[in-house]
Amino acid sequence: MLAPATGLLAVFIFVPMLLTLWLSLQSWSTQTGFDTARFIGVQNFIDIFSNSSIGRDFKAALVNTLIYTVLSVVLILPLSVAFGLLVHQKLAPGGIVLRTILFSTYMVPMIAVALVFSKLYSPTEGPINQVLGWIGIPAQTWLSAPQTALGSIVLLNVWQQVGYFTVLAVAGLTQIPDSLYEAARIDGANPVQRFWSITLPLLGNTLLFSAVIAIINSVQVFEPVALITQGGPVNATNVLTYHIRRVGIERAQGGLGSAMAVTLMLVLIVSITALFAFARAREARRA
Amino acid sequence: MNNATTLLSRRQLDLVRIVWMLVTLVLALMTIFPLLWMLTISFKSQAEVFQPTFWPKAPSLKNFVYVLTEVPFLRYLFNSFVVSAAVTIIALWFHSMAGYALARLRFPGREAIFLAIFSTFLVSLPVIIVPLFIVVRSMGMLNSYAGLIVPAIFNAFGIFLLRQYYLALPRELEEAAIVDGASYWRIYWSVILPLSRPIIASLAILFFLANWNSFLWPLTATSDQSLWVVQVGIASFRSQYASSWNYIMAASTIVAAPMLLVFIVFQKQIMESIKTSGLK
Repeated sequence: MLAPATGLLAVFIFVPMLLTLWLSLQSWSTQTGFDTARFIGVQNFIDIFSNSSIGRDFKAALVNTLIYTVLSVVLILPLSVAFGLLVHQKLAPGGIVLRTILFSTYMVPMIAVALVFSKLYSPTEGPINQVLGWIGIPAQTWLSAPQTALGSIVLLNVWQQVGYFTVLAVAGLTQIPDSLYEAARIDGANPVQRFWSITLPLLGNTLLFSAVIAIINSVQVFEPVALITQGGPVNATNVLTYHIRRVGIERAQGGLGSAMAVTLMLVLIVSITALFAFARAREARRA
Repeated sequence: MNNATTLLSRRQLDLVRIVWMLVTLVLALMTIFPLLWMLTISFKSQAEVFQPTFWPKAPSLKNFVYVLTEVPFLRYLFNSFVVSAAVTIIALWFHSMAGYALARLRFPGREAIFLAIFSTFLVSLPVIIVPLFIVVRSMGMLNSYAGLIVPAIFNAFGIFLLRQYYLALPRELEEAAIVDGASYWRIYWSVILPLSRPIIASLAILFFLANWNSFLWPLTATSDQSLWVVQVGIASFRSQYASSWNYIMAASTIVAAPMLLVFIVFQKQIMESIKTSGLK
């Protein structure tokens, strides 16, 4: 019963994974057979961290991916909690409608989102700059300047994803028993104190899960870069996924591409492990 | 939080309500605006695109007709549908078997296999894309439906959720069948699968959504235009018509519309499936 799923796992994930590890130690062109691969030890890793153009491009892409991921998570998590509270509150109507509207963007394919935002962001004719103009904010360069391009892609990612994480936050909020708030209120805690001492700690597991998903999603960003910026302007949005595909498949430098992929995976494993260790330490402190 | 009523006076409460609703309204508008804007432009003429009016003066379907006839978009939509449906059906079948085996059957190495499946959460497609491309090429599956479908089937998340679901099912349901001498296959088909309907429905939506939206793998696995899925088709369309906003927005609407329709129809189920995936 396990065979079909594990068979697919072996052929399409484990074999490529092992090949990536093996190829990261080889000099090999993607256009030729594996028999042409030549063992060169950790030379690929030395190259991608060197000061040559290969190394500079890779390190810039790594940093771009890190910035993109950190900014996305730092924006998405607090917003999802804030929006979650807005949906969950019972003071005013409209919560459920808001949840539905926020979530609808998650259903729109990233390709369409990227295309629409590439036009929304247009510095001269785009509506975002028009609206900013009405309230007296000067026109921004958005995707057209290296300083703002990566941040603009983060914003469109947040716009698309935040609804999904809001749904998760609302699910977490409904798990918190009302009796706790009741008790805190009797003890004289104001809403702000109640948020910090009840809501946030009890949302811990939800936030941990959200953070892991948000990191894994952000690290894989590809569509908006491939579609609108092609890594530019001046490599400002050249993230690792785009760079790996460009080096490994388009430039056919399979060994170098694999070494980059292995590095990306190591960074991801270390970050996720650190996140869980942090969550566990916090848990232990509270117990 | 209904206790807030006792803390605030009537007037303060009304004020809080109004502020709340204003924030909600602004947020909803900011969320919906890009989609609405996409829709209105796709009904405008080329000349009208840059005029500041929001609603099209003479809405027409010309852009849609142009996009659908000039580029084989219907073919791309068909490919997307076939691939997403095939992946969803096969994945649900395979994964429910795997989930059941991991939840109920006792065999050596079960924990190791579970751990192996679980660890693939950390292996993302971009990391293995180069060797995966080579593996699929060496199997002769580049530029074929099989190449689009087969590598996309395995989904650790699906197996994990199904296993959790089966662990929570009461064992008594199967025990009667075991006493009757039914084999595991028999139990799977006639007891477990019918009981799985709710989780299968949730996962079906999630799988279909993920595959409809996938771009990186179809882009890598197909160069033959007749096999392009709609995501790849639209990417190439955009490079040809970069300055024709009305066509680009019409094309975006065509890709987004099926998913938004699915959302409107299955809203409740989708929300439930997202919630369960988050809580487990």
